[in-house]
Amino acid sequence: MKNGTRKWLFCAVLVALLAGFVGAASAKEILIGNMQDISGPTSVWGNAVTRGAEIAVEKINAAGGVDGAMLKLITMDTKANVQEAIKGYNSLVSSGVVAVVGPPVSNIGLALGPIANKAGVPVVGSFIDPRVTVGEDGKPQAAMFLMQPSSVQYSEIMASYTIDVLGLKKIGVLYDQSNAFAVSLMKPYVEYIKAAGGEIVSEQVYTKGDKDFKTQLTKIKEAGADCLYFPNYIQEAVLVTNQRKQIGFDVPIIGGLDFAPPFASLVNDPEAANNIYLANNFSEKEPQLKEVWDVYKAKYGENPVNKVFLGYDKILLIQEAMKLAGGTSSEHVMKGMPVVANLEGTTGVLTISPDTHQPVGLSMVMYKIEKGEYVELGRYVPEKHRAPWSK
Amino acid sequence: MLVQNILNGISLGSVYALIAVGFALIFNVLKFSNFSQGGVMTVTAYAGYVASRYLSDRLDSLVLFAAVLAAAAVSGAVIAAAVERLAFRRLRRTKSEPVYYFISSITMGILLENLITIYASSNFYSYPRFFATSAVPLFGVNVAVTDMMMFALSIAALLALLFILHRTKIGLGIRAACFDVNTVQLMGMNPDFLVTTALMISGALGGVSGVFLGMNYTLYPQLGQMVVKGFVASVLGGLGSIHGAVIGAVLLGILEIFFISWVGAGWAPVFVFIVMLAFLLVRPRGIAGIIVQEKA
Repeated sequence: MKNGTRKWLFCAVLVALLAGFVGAASAKEILIGNMQDISGPTSVWGNAVTRGAEIAVEKINAAGGVDGAMLKLITMDTKANVQEAIKGYNSLVSSGVVAVVGPPVSNIGLALGPIANKAGVPVVGSFIDPRVTVGEDGKPQAAMFLMQPSSVQYSEIMASYTIDVLGLKKIGVLYDQSNAFAVSLMKPYVEYIKAAGGEIVSEQVYTKGDKDFKTQLTKIKEAGADCLYFPNYIQEAVLVTNQRKQIGFDVPIIGGLDFAPPFASLVNDPEAANNIYLANNFSEKEPQLKEVWDVYKAKYGENPVNKVFLGYDKILLIQEAMKLAGGTSSEHVMKGMPVVANLEGTTGVLTISPDTHQPVGLSMVMYKIEKGEYVELGRYVPEKHRAPWSK
Repeated sequence: MLVQNILNGISLGSVYALIAVGFALIFNVLKFSNFSQGGVMTVTAYAGYVASRYLSDRLDSLVLFAAVLAAAAVSGAVIAAAVERLAFRRLRRTKSEPVYYFISSITMGILLENLITIYASSNFYSYPRFFATSAVPLFGVNVAVTDMMMFALSIAALLALLFILHRTKIGLGIRAACFDVNTVQLMGMNPDFLVTTALMISGALGGVSGVFLGMNYTLYPQLGQMVVKGFVASVLGGLGSIHGAVIGAVLLGILEIFFISWVGAGWAPVFVFIVMLAFLLVRPRGIAGIIVQEKA
């Protein structure tokens, strides 16, 4: 054999061997994308979701993976920016991910919907605007899945608790009219209250960047409201809580998820952080949290926030979808996700509706903040949310 | 409702006034709109917060509050001096076009804001509680203690500034520099020192404003963007007039609150700016009636 031919033959064998190794390595890995805000304004949430997802991946891999293949999480930083998120999603699809852990940001979910439907790589997120998972035609977005109550479900839980449990019927509403999250939480609440015989005595708005709400609060106070519904982000929640006390408006606040810890500690005034109701995804006392809680605390030296458990459950859902569909490709995840039922997650029992790609019958844990302390009131789900096939 | 709105307006105006006074001082001396004041306010608010965290175990609440204000004022003065050295001095030496002062001040404001974002993240923080009571009854309605203190401090800052400008040698020098820097130099005064002093006073005021803004509205990197309201108040009051800035700020605060009450928060800015435009059409010199030619 000539020298040159021998060299070519050696190279060909080497390439074949390398290809074999690479093929063998990728055959044992299932790539899952994770798109979160790692460095932007909502990075507290993004990092928490990522850590929760990583803990789930580590646990699944320690138990032998899925069908003998190890899960590998590839994280992309969205910087809470829609364009960055779209670039990140396309890059993940090119990398061969079979599913993507989505961010808890609705406007990113809205932008990703049509792209993900076309690419066929499902996104499992916690974007609560229902338009992310259900199109204008009323049909579910094929590749988009929500794993916590939508804004409609959440608002109705809060509205039902306000009127059916607390017996408060004269409601004042204050919300950011320039924020889709706040608006999506306001409308269903108001509709539920009116349908249940309650009255919206004053509806006040503010816009992005406003920091002084005393005028709106004074108007709501003057209107004789029994309580204040305030579905907005945590920074405004802190301001409104303090300003409510400053003007002497001592009625309950019915809040959103942003009133969950660490909200009360940020108010820095137990007298102000008082008489506030909220619904959280879980209770710290619930036994299903313990394992993740302990792992997180040992790893990061702090208590986990609720987004950690959302990240964890997103991976559990993807794993369950693979099991149900009998394969590990993106097509299998797409096929399995809508039929997930009664999956014991950390945030509750997860059943995904094939009609809406949203969870059904998912209860929330009600809390009351009393002088800066969270007092648990138990799980709550309105009667109309209960599905016959859910627990 | 009316009394509550007026008091709310005065309290909001007090926030703007603290910003506007520092703004007006620099306009008075250097004849340009110093938007780096926003960045200075942000950094000093964070400096005050760090001081509060560091000293909270060592000092009682009222002493702690005074220490936090002092720390923020000193850091504001130092940062403003650094801004003068980095952003404005060379421009003055080279007699640069006026627009460069404006660009330079905006750039410094953005730089300071971004530095805070990098080092302190974009999360928000809350100042500790300094006072046992957060609100006191006045004329049958509740008024926040911080709002009352802000109003008192705005008045105090105005009086202190007027005293410095009209009763001290430095003040005389600063006022002389307002007219002609070259002549001031010929008369043996150091214009660099005078300009730096003016900026340091403005920076110290920015520090105090920053702490109050942080206490009232939480601490976040974009806190200094409220400087725009200070600028509007300054224009309304008469550019370059310090007492005009305070009056303009309180008027702006009251106007905003009443428009929020009448037409809602969405439309309120529209109506406020319409009133402002109408006012400036009738009286372009502003309330105080002083016209100073602006560099930028």
